[in-house]
Amino acid sequence: MLITILAGEVEDMSDTSKGTMLFRKEVIKKIKLCERRWKEEYLRPEGKESKETYLTSSGIPIKSLYSPADIEEFDYRKDLGFPGTEPFTRGIHPTMYRGRPFTIRQLAGFGGPEDCNNRLKFLLKQGATGINIVFDLPTIRGYSSEDPEAEGNVGQCGVTIDSIEDMHTLFAGIPIDTVSVSLVTHLPSVTTILLAMYLVMADERGIRWEKLAGTSQNDFLMETTIGSAPEIMPPQDSFRLQCDVIEFVTGRLPRWNPISYNGYNLREAGTNAVQEVAVAISNAIHTIEELQKRGLDVDAFAPRLSFFWDLCNDFFEEIAKCRASRRVWYKIMKERFRAKNQRSMWMRFHVQTSGVSLTAIEPLNNIARSTIQGLAGVLGGAQSLHIDSYDEAYSVPTEMAALVSLRTQQIIQAETNVTNVVDPLGGSYYMENLTDQMEQRIYEYMEKIKSSGGLIKAVDMGWLHKEIADQAYEYQKATEDAKSKIVGVNYYPSDEVQRPIEVFKYPQTEEKQRAKLKELRGKRDNPTVKKTLEELREKCTSGENIMRYVMESVKARATIGEIADIYREAFGLWTFPLF
Amino acid sequence: MKRPIKVIIAKLGLDIHWRGAMVVARFLKDAGMEVIYLGNQFPKEIANAALQESVDVVALSTLGGNHLTLGPKVIKLLRDKGLNDILVVMGGVIPPEDIPVLKSQGFDEIFTPHTSLKEAAEFIRDRVYRREESQKNLKMH
Repeated sequence: MLITILAGEVEDMSDTSKGTMLFRKEVIKKIKLCERRWKEEYLRPEGKESKETYLTSSGIPIKSLYSPADIEEFDYRKDLGFPGTEPFTRGIHPTMYRGRPFTIRQLAGFGGPEDCNNRLKFLLKQGATGINIVFDLPTIRGYSSEDPEAEGNVGQCGVTIDSIEDMHTLFAGIPIDTVSVSLVTHLPSVTTILLAMYLVMADERGIRWEKLAGTSQNDFLMETTIGSAPEIMPPQDSFRLQCDVIEFVTGRLPRWNPISYNGYNLREAGTNAVQEVAVAISNAIHTIEELQKRGLDVDAFAPRLSFFWDLCNDFFEEIAKCRASRRVWYKIMKERFRAKNQRSMWMRFHVQTSGVSLTAIEPLNNIARSTIQGLAGVLGGAQSLHIDSYDEAYSVPTEMAALVSLRTQQIIQAETNVTNVVDPLGGSYYMENLTDQMEQRIYEYMEKIKSSGGLIKAVDMGWLHKEIADQAYEYQKATEDAKSKIVGVNYYPSDEVQRPIEVFKYPQTEEKQRAKLKELRGKRDNPTVKKTLEELREKCTSGENIMRYVMESVKARATIGEIADIYREAFGLWTFPLF
Repeated sequence: MKRPIKVIIAKLGLDIHWRGAMVVARFLKDAGMEVIYLGNQFPKEIANAALQESVDVVALSTLGGNHLTLGPKVIKLLRDKGLNDILVVMGGVIPPEDIPVLKSQGFDEIFTPHTSLKEAAEFIRDRVYRREESQKNLKMH
């Protein structure tokens, strides 16, 4: 606990009950009177505003001006505190970016593991400080490159990984004992396999697990709600594997985040900023309850739960969202779960600029969009950042486009001085009012999820899918009616002939991967593979944590498709509840 | 009164992004069309469903980079089944230089991220009714 000396008395800084209200009632009263007079005298009819109502992107009505009267109950220590202290609104570290710059973590993923390895090395050489791997669709959905389902998608949208051998190739020459690695594994089912491959790779390279820093995504909403697929694991089983991964990592990998609650893709699929945070935190609450049932102490694993937020175009709302999410998480961990370790109350998150906001028309404008979005993440106190590239409405980024994104991060970090002061917008009447409103609405939406039967049921019944689809439909209609403006598209629509930009060409990967798989089958001990897979099948139904058994299969050189087939057979398939 | 146009909408292969397909499906439904949303399907299942449901339109959605590999397969399977009059369209993240390739393989139109819902619906309506007219005329002669 932090002890400090204030005005001659020793105070416990984590005791937020002691009043530090900023405004006296009579002051607020005077300000309100002044505001009324200002409106009457200065806001004349001829100065009328151009719209009747102004809303944030998640629909919160906003005023033209904020004053102390909009945060009359504002209590400095209860609502803000100091960075690194409760309630962590201002940031989780005392000095934030002065002491520890945000991690420059650009996504990379395409082609075979050797192609992607080159891109990783390129990014690190240019100053990236973390790695962020995105996998191709067959890998993400648990198919090997030779499976008929994979046809046409191998090495597209991400890198393909068929076996532990590919994991070795992907990270060849990369110091995984010092660089932190985020594996964007999406689904829990595939996380079990890819994380097992990563760990076995570390073992075979002689690197101890304590040294491995990084994150696996591992979110059951990615498996069942945000992404559709021909074959889907039932929500309760996917949730169980999500928890298996966290349970396994706890105590074994002290620097690894076993989950990244993915608000980002929820948002990209259609939710608003409030729903994004509320759904992700609801998932975290379910996880904690499940792991407590398994006998784990909340402080044993909560410090390594991490989050992932989207940064869209509504600049101040995104910053308020980041701040509000920290306060919500703090309160839940402290009050509901009675966490004792302060790290359990730290909402740590990665942010990525919005892919949906990128336009194919006049693509270079996307650099401006992404820069402003990225800045919001930095002013919101994110731990790490990915900035999308201008050409992503066409394909994965070219090397040049990826470099512009990386440089944008460096410009924010090194040239603008924005990282010199912690939470620079703290205390702004508008920012504090908006943060309060976001917080309130996040709680309200969490209640809504609860009253629809809890998150897992809400997914199983298709309730959440419908919520997302409804919102996405509304957004699209608002764009088409030009109620929300997109420059070059419905606002000053581009009338010039499109100047072509270079679009990334995927390297040929399918045949190469097929050949590697053929060779692998010739070399490996096939009876051992079969034996480990059968053991895994048994553990799927026994309810025991399956991670150990997945690792055995991986070690024996089972392919991702072979392991995922065991899941498909053992857990059965579930129908995506849309339409 | 004209009969409602029957459309199949499918996510092509493993592509996971359902937002666009769902928005289009809803809009076409609101515009009075009969929409069958197949979810994720491979070419064979898509062609089978088109035959079984005797649809006017097959609409494929992909943002996953498989448009050039799986897209033409759907066309071929439809033709193999003798479904030559079905309107086949695709929407998603498609690089501009791939659009003429897809059209030469038999796609009637490729919708990009900036095609408006109205434009897409009008294109479908216009083409389907035009085809119907020309078939009627053929029969009459």
